[in-house]
Amino acid sequence: MTAAVALGAKPTATTIALVGRPNAGKSSLYNALTGGTARVGNFPGITVDVLEAQVTFGTGDAVTVVDLPGVYSVEAIADPESDEGHARRYLDRLSSAGTPHLVAQVLDATHLPMGLRLTLELKRRGAPMVLLATQHDELMRRGSMLDAKALSAALGLPVLAVSARSPNVKQQLEAFLADAVRVRAVEPTLVTDVDALAAQVLKPLGDSKAQAAAVRRRTERMDALLLHPVFAPFLFVGLMTALFAAVFLVSDPVTGLIDLVNRALGARLESALGPGWVSSLLVDGVLGGAGTVLGFLPQIVILTMAMEVIEASGYLARGTFLVDRILKLAGLGGRSFVPLLTAHACAVPAITSTRIIRDPGQRLRTMLVLPLMTCSARIPTYGLLIGTFFATRGPVFKGAMFVGLYAAGALAGFVASLVLGKTVKRAGRSLPLVLEMPAYRRPQAKVVLLAGWRAATRFVRDVGSVILVATVVLWALLTVPGPGSAEASLRAPPDSSPRVVAMHGSIAAFVGRALEPVTQPAGFDWRINVGLIGSVGARELMVGTMGVIFGIEGDGDEVSPLSQKLRDAKSRTGARAYGVPTGLALMAFFVIACQCMSTLAAVRRETRSWRWPAFVFGYTYSVAWVLAVVVFQVTRALGW
Amino acid sequence: MTISKLQVGQTRVVKGLRLPPGEAAWLRAVGLYEGVSVTPLRFGPFRGPVHLRTSTGAELAIDFDLAQAVDLGDLP
Repeated sequence: MTAAVALGAKPTATTIALVGRPNAGKSSLYNALTGGTARVGNFPGITVDVLEAQVTFGTGDAVTVVDLPGVYSVEAIADPESDEGHARRYLDRLSSAGTPHLVAQVLDATHLPMGLRLTLELKRRGAPMVLLATQHDELMRRGSMLDAKALSAALGLPVLAVSARSPNVKQQLEAFLADAVRVRAVEPTLVTDVDALAAQVLKPLGDSKAQAAAVRRRTERMDALLLHPVFAPFLFVGLMTALFAAVFLVSDPVTGLIDLVNRALGARLESALGPGWVSSLLVDGVLGGAGTVLGFLPQIVILTMAMEVIEASGYLARGTFLVDRILKLAGLGGRSFVPLLTAHACAVPAITSTRIIRDPGQRLRTMLVLPLMTCSARIPTYGLLIGTFFATRGPVFKGAMFVGLYAAGALAGFVASLVLGKTVKRAGRSLPLVLEMPAYRRPQAKVVLLAGWRAATRFVRDVGSVILVATVVLWALLTVPGPGSAEASLRAPPDSSPRVVAMHGSIAAFVGRALEPVTQPAGFDWRINVGLIGSVGARELMVGTMGVIFGIEGDGDEVSPLSQKLRDAKSRTGARAYGVPTGLALMAFFVIACQCMSTLAAVRRETRSWRWPAFVFGYTYSVAWVLAVVVFQVTRALGW
Repeated sequence: MTISKLQVGQTRVVKGLRLPPGEAAWLRAVGLYEGVSVTPLRFGPFRGPVHLRTSTGAELAIDFDLAQAVDLGDLP
């Protein structure tokens, strides 16, 4: 069992706190010990929450294992709201509460001196502790090995050299930690020069200097290309375009298959149940709504796995180096890059990850612009709109459209940062960029697959819970007559079926129509308005809502996919309802609007104020509406 | 001499940090402390960050303004 814990929670068993510098490998050992699924990566600051799990070792010892965010020092001043501040508060509470505990410092054996400086600080706190020297396989690959006995004798504490990739890492850790928990001795040390100690305990294996130089040369060769002042930005854009084109190429057939199964199931249900509200609820509400959203599962999984590969390889830190100057121009900084990139998967963890930003003003501004980044929840809507209005184009064009939408989100974030940089200030210590550049690593297939699995289960869970309930409620609102329903029903397109006529007089249609004076300049009619209302809580609901509406509209047509139904949609005059301008205006609206209650709740949690989430909601919706109107009017004037 | 004035590939030893005490202590903890030698690997364009390697084997990217606050001396 793994859970993020509140700092006020009282530990119940002997607690083993995994402490160490950022990117030392704490989360990998935590996962090995607990069978947990804490995110791991090749970048400092991946863990920003305190994770806790109760486990019973093979030796029978029951313990609580805690994974703390990385700390460089437990003595230098740290912002209490930063990831380091959270870790230190947990350690302080552990000491003051008198709970039996053991500090297990995880240190990267390939960067021993830096880890040992923290060891001396931790020893000065007086708590029982052990050392877990990770990356021992990597150290050996570089031609050295750690003399754990010598290090243990010098520091007066137990030391285990371990590799998280080793198949028996769990057994090694359990046996070592179970002994340490029972003894929990604190012995003094006379060591003060950690550089000398590191040199003494690292033993060469053959020609260690030559091997270390070979590893360094490989990193240098890759950096020469990936950090090239001219080529690197082009490489980055090219990589992203290829990635999105691949997402379309690979996922399009799978999405098509899910859609096909969905429609076949709908046709069977309809013929088995016959016409009536039960079959309409199941076919139009459940399959048309939640089922349609489920069709976008492959895009989300493939994109998540690709992002995981980029992160695990060590490229993320290089990206930070590349964009630091640009972000500084916008009033942010290099450390804002990780939350900004994380937000391309989901803004909620990205807002939590702003704790790695040590400048309070930059941290707040980053939080305020994060909802503009293109999160995975936008993918179903973008996929539907691109598939509807650019159906005849090839995957490269569609991939380029996706890149354009991502770039539009990033550009919107840049402009918002510029404006907020001049208006939103927050007192506190301003710290410029300092970032460790990790060595390149080959991503582990298991970690990448796990990330894809996590994304898939989260998406399916959302579709099966929130989205399913919301689309059923929406189906009800589209079925129950609203005020003046008889008169409103007359506005249905000519030759509409009785169900379609009834829908035009429903509560949802009444509300959607009431908004038309505001949204018509953007090309949105009542059906899109209902979708926009439905997607206030979560963006994915836009597709579900459209699925329900056009499921009912396409009464008797269970063969056409939703994109075809959207293309064929009629206005009340019987003319084609939506063209490319409407599609582009909708895209513009979705690029900007913060349609996510979870994101607003996360901003509330991190800022401890309702003012900032209200501000995010207000400014993104206002700008989204203005932009949608401009896009619609301009593209229509151009005859698109 | 500061890190910002070094050429790519040139190595010098950190002699001092002209920073507020709290900030200096944190920077020492990260890996830039008196006695460690530093070698710039590249400078980001338009006064962008400095990518450097320390004698402990660590590679860091530090802000250009910060690089101007790290005083260096000759190698022993």
